[in-house]
Amino acid sequence: MAGLTKGWRIQVRVIIALMIRELTTRFGRENIGFLWVMVEPLLFAGLVAVVWAAMRGSETHGISIISFVITGYIPLTLFRSAVSRSVKVFEVNGSLLYHRQIKLIDFIFVRFLIEMIGSLFALMFIGAALYVVGIFPLPYSFGHMLLGWFLYSLFTFSMCLVIAPLSEVSDILEKFIPVVTYLMIPLSGTFFLVQWLTPSMREFILWSPPVTAMELLRFGLYGHSMRPYYDISLVVIFSLIMTVIGLALCRKVRRTLVVG
Amino acid sequence: MIICEDIHKHYPLGHGRKNVLNGVNFTIQKGQKVGLLGRNGAGKSTLIKLLGGVEFPSSGRIRRHMSLSWPLGFGGGFQGSLTGYDNARFIARIYGQDYDAIKDFVEDFTELGRQLKAPVKTYSSGMRARLAFALSLIIEFDCYLIDEVILVGDQDFQRKCYHELFEKRADRTLVIASHSPGTIQKYCNQALIIHDGLGRFYDDISEALAVYSAL
Repeated sequence: MAGLTKGWRIQVRVIIALMIRELTTRFGRENIGFLWVMVEPLLFAGLVAVVWAAMRGSETHGISIISFVITGYIPLTLFRSAVSRSVKVFEVNGSLLYHRQIKLIDFIFVRFLIEMIGSLFALMFIGAALYVVGIFPLPYSFGHMLLGWFLYSLFTFSMCLVIAPLSEVSDILEKFIPVVTYLMIPLSGTFFLVQWLTPSMREFILWSPPVTAMELLRFGLYGHSMRPYYDISLVVIFSLIMTVIGLALCRKVRRTLVVG
Repeated sequence: MIICEDIHKHYPLGHGRKNVLNGVNFTIQKGQKVGLLGRNGAGKSTLIKLLGGVEFPSSGRIRRHMSLSWPLGFGGGFQGSLTGYDNARFIARIYGQDYDAIKDFVEDFTELGRQLKAPVKTYSSGMRARLAFALSLIIEFDCYLIDEVILVGDQDFQRKCYHELFEKRADRTLVIASHSPGTIQKYCNQALIIHDGLGRFYDDISEALAVYSAL
């Protein structure tokens, strides 16, 4: 037990140090510094929302387009950037493996965490700003929103845990990542509510873990003006299986990793 | 004590593999100063990396009953894009040291002055060596893993290293990888010769050096 708490303390120390290091190398100390981390999702979601609103008017199925696109796009950018940042993450950070207390999973976790915090801040910031000007609703339930966000993050992190070690073993995988993240778009629940689909499609699409997360997130925002469909246990089980596979892969890759 | 049991290490090479170590066994006791001798490419650096846990043996076991430094050489352990100060801060954080307390020692030992504010990738190898040494001395390991290249600094730096490692920390264990008999003669009292993937331990330095020069 004493060994466990000591190991925990060391890992917390390592993760904090890696976070600070990652933030300084990526964003520097000039101007707004680490706040840059929320600029990308903010711009992305904001611009897409404007385009959608211009094309389709202000409402769809009785829900405001701007908020709908923003709540869909910010989690999607989280998934996409977290996955693409976990590709070849060991190679980039190789020289840090000279310190035994730094584990491969720390690299993956830190990069994921930065993206996660960045997009969460972006969502809160843009939501608050648009609420003030009256084009974003006041959330019906912050609890549901948080639960949805948490499940989306859990799913994303577990995917990163698998993709990072695989990208180290196979160069081909790296080429497929953009395609896979693109295919994620129709399967992620970004651009629809499950209630808009036919019953058989509903059943099918709920097999995709991020759909449950998106439904909960949006239910938390819109409340009973929509009917949420979700399967929380599926997301949790899926993510746990991916996590176990990912950890096993990391362990295997670490044993043969060549550190320059 | 560090115990190595039947260490094998191979790397992929084309479609086949390259065997570097083929079953190395030895035990290093606390306080011993061990020279790792071997020709270029014999596997000295590989063994040092395995001891330091940077890479893992393909098979076999390494048991460490003391704290080991990371392998001290020109590369590794640093972030090239970060400044000397940032690297010091990073090392202090991951090893749970108070940065303010170590800052003075780093400035003092490295004598790098304003250069510490520049990215480490702009450092000469000698400057890197100074920084690497300073940072590892702060952590107070039981055993230091050293690549000889790092000891080849100027006179003043060599004197400092000697003072810190062999006078102030005379009780510590050292493993020094080298292909120069002079270095081993000067710093070590035991030697491990690596040849053809096998290791042989010698308690007598002059015997080891005689064997080595005959290789």
